[in-house]
Amino acid sequence: MDQRNQMHRHIANTRKSLFDQGYLDEQFIQLEELQDNSNPNFVEEVVTLFYRDSARFLSNLDQALEKRPLDFNKLDSLMHQFKSSSTSIGAKKVKTECTHFRNYCNARNAEGCKRTFQNVKKEYTTLRKKLEAYFQMSRQVGPIETACRSR
Amino acid sequence: MTVEEIRNEIDRFPIGMRVLAVDDNPTCLKYLDALLRKCQYQVTTTNQAITALNMLRENRNRFDLVISDVYMPDMDGFKLLELVGLEMDLPVIMLSGNGDQNLVMKGITHGACDYLVKPVRLEELRNIWQHVIRRKVGPKSQSKSKHSREKPDQGNEGGDQNEKLNRKRKDEDDDEDNGNESDDPTTKKKPRVVWSIDLHRKFVAAINQLGIEKAVPKRILDLMNVDGLTRENVASHLQKYRLYLKRISHQANMVVAFGGNNDASSYMRMSPLDGLGDFRALSCSGRLQNATYAPTGMLGRLNSATGVALHGLTAPPLVLPNHTQTKIPPVVSSNHQNMNHFQGIPQSFDLDQLQYCNKPITQHTNSNPIEESRIFTGTNLADLNSIDETQMFRDPISVLANQTGAKLTSTGAESFKFLDQSDNQAPNFSSNLVPVGESYSYPAVINGGFSSSITTTANEPIEPYGGALVGDIVQNVNQSLSSQKGGPLSKQDYNQYSQTALTTLAGSALTSYGGLSGPVSHIRSNGGGSTLVQTEQTKLQNGFVSSNGYGSLDDIIPGMVKQEQDATTLMNGEFDYDPYIVRGRVYDDESS
Repeated sequence: MDQRNQMHRHIANTRKSLFDQGYLDEQFIQLEELQDNSNPNFVEEVVTLFYRDSARFLSNLDQALEKRPLDFNKLDSLMHQFKSSSTSIGAKKVKTECTHFRNYCNARNAEGCKRTFQNVKKEYTTLRKKLEAYFQMSRQVGPIETACRSR
Repeated sequence: MTVEEIRNEIDRFPIGMRVLAVDDNPTCLKYLDALLRKCQYQVTTTNQAITALNMLRENRNRFDLVISDVYMPDMDGFKLLELVGLEMDLPVIMLSGNGDQNLVMKGITHGACDYLVKPVRLEELRNIWQHVIRRKVGPKSQSKSKHSREKPDQGNEGGDQNEKLNRKRKDEDDDEDNGNESDDPTTKKKPRVVWSIDLHRKFVAAINQLGIEKAVPKRILDLMNVDGLTRENVASHLQKYRLYLKRISHQANMVVAFGGNNDASSYMRMSPLDGLGDFRALSCSGRLQNATYAPTGMLGRLNSATGVALHGLTAPPLVLPNHTQTKIPPVVSSNHQNMNHFQGIPQSFDLDQLQYCNKPITQHTNSNPIEESRIFTGTNLADLNSIDETQMFRDPISVLANQTGAKLTSTGAESFKFLDQSDNQAPNFSSNLVPVGESYSYPAVINGGFSSSITTTANEPIEPYGGALVGDIVQNVNQSLSSQKGGPLSKQDYNQYSQTALTTLAGSALTSYGGLSGPVSHIRSNGGGSTLVQTEQTKLQNGFVSSNGYGSLDDIIPGMVKQEQDATTLMNGEFDYDPYIVRGRVYDDESS
């Protein structure tokens, strides 16, 4: 029992830190609120979908960034997709980097684009690791316990 | 269906409302799906616009509402929106990560009944049912929708939905003498009209036969002679059709100007609204951005003096100097296009024609948008509030006549906002256009052509093309400004006013402003309806109001009136600028 409580507390803290450190924003809470008995794994499902989409978008972006000269319109368009996904799950830092990227696209700044794209990938990878750990923890504790709402 | 059954169904509503959600992004779609289910709607999702369209075409009655993302790879969301609106008459809500005002405006002008910015919240979706109700109630009677509008905001309170429904129903029941052609006022449900190709052809034929200016729903209905078709059906189809035409002409212009770079990204690149916001500020302060000519002050005075008194206009007339000679909006061509449109089902633009048409315009190297586009907002504004918009839609001529008839004759000026739609603009151009729904704004830009714009709502986009335009086209203007390479404004939007007087005035206003001392180089009106007035640019520079112009206007007016007669379409909205008045105020040398 005690161990369980500890686990819960740990999960709650992990979750809280994700928000505090700016990895996630309010949108993630919206996802959590949509999770209920009829939809018990909603958040994780959406996030998993996000990983899948992201792999595709990032790969496309990688390819597009290889081309010479850079097709900024296409890059912007691809990034728009990725940013949409990120926004939907509340991936705050990732979203910010996406915005930087698009700004560089608009400015037709190739170096800027490439640089920020590395940041985008980095943030994405970091977030993904954290979320995977978080969900794994949650699963261990059991589905009954939902994350504590307090931040 | 008995009244009781209908009431029951409505009482359950919006639970079980059938929504079709379209978004190419799987994550977003999943989220949207969950939200909609949480609202207890019946949700169908697809990530392809084509699939959505097929589903809808297969059975329009399968859905109550469509929500679609704007940015989709297989089809532009706006296009889907338009097709759904035209073909199926279903309410469509746009969804986008981009909340730029110009995009929102574009959505509205394409017929969206709402525009949500991602990420969407549950509360927002809880209210979308109102759009369905509005549609059901609205088409029943145009005047009824007036009642709806007058009611307190129904959707956003999210309060007692039943109460609102009951109230709406009661009002409908009470309001039986509004000339509604439908059978039973208590029958809330009307089978949706399928606008098949044949029906649409009849519709277009009727319009051509009547002439744009006289193409009012009732007459169209009579000409079409189709059983079971009501005036309301025709009216709403007409509205969409007009939007469609407008948009097409914008697109054509844009394509011509931009050389075909017409995709979404082109407007994504446009300067942010903020940048354009300066325009508004400028216009407010009377300064002209990119003013190439001296009369900035005059314009400023123009702006202030005329006191763009548009109701609810948020932006003073924008005078957009038209720097880019090259970007002279192909008004002429647009007119041609309009003409084509009206004469048949416009399927495509003859870009060559547009290009061609562009030439004469480009002669004016210093195309001064001011001269060409004038926003005439003035004291002669029709009282927007008093205009029954639905009436306007149905029979704008009479409404407007009642409203502004006297004024018109006295001042001779209706509010013409002539939008000059040059292709410079990204697709957003169409955002200048009439917002679908309750307000009609027709920007009127005269720049070698005009479209009169009357807005009945606060959002009145006006594209000043070389002229003072009244209206809140700021966004559009801004956009056009920012996106324009050379800076010409340019949107030519041809909204034809069925009232010839209006067009006449507009034309005269244009010419007068355009420094009419020079001859109005070209006045042309298409069957489609836009009258082009190409005024000499240089004249403008000297001042907008020139008595010469006035004189010459007199000569021109009759011709223009005549031309306009063919060309005008419904006029919606109010007229705001009295060019004469403006002249009087702004230019001391008016009398001459």
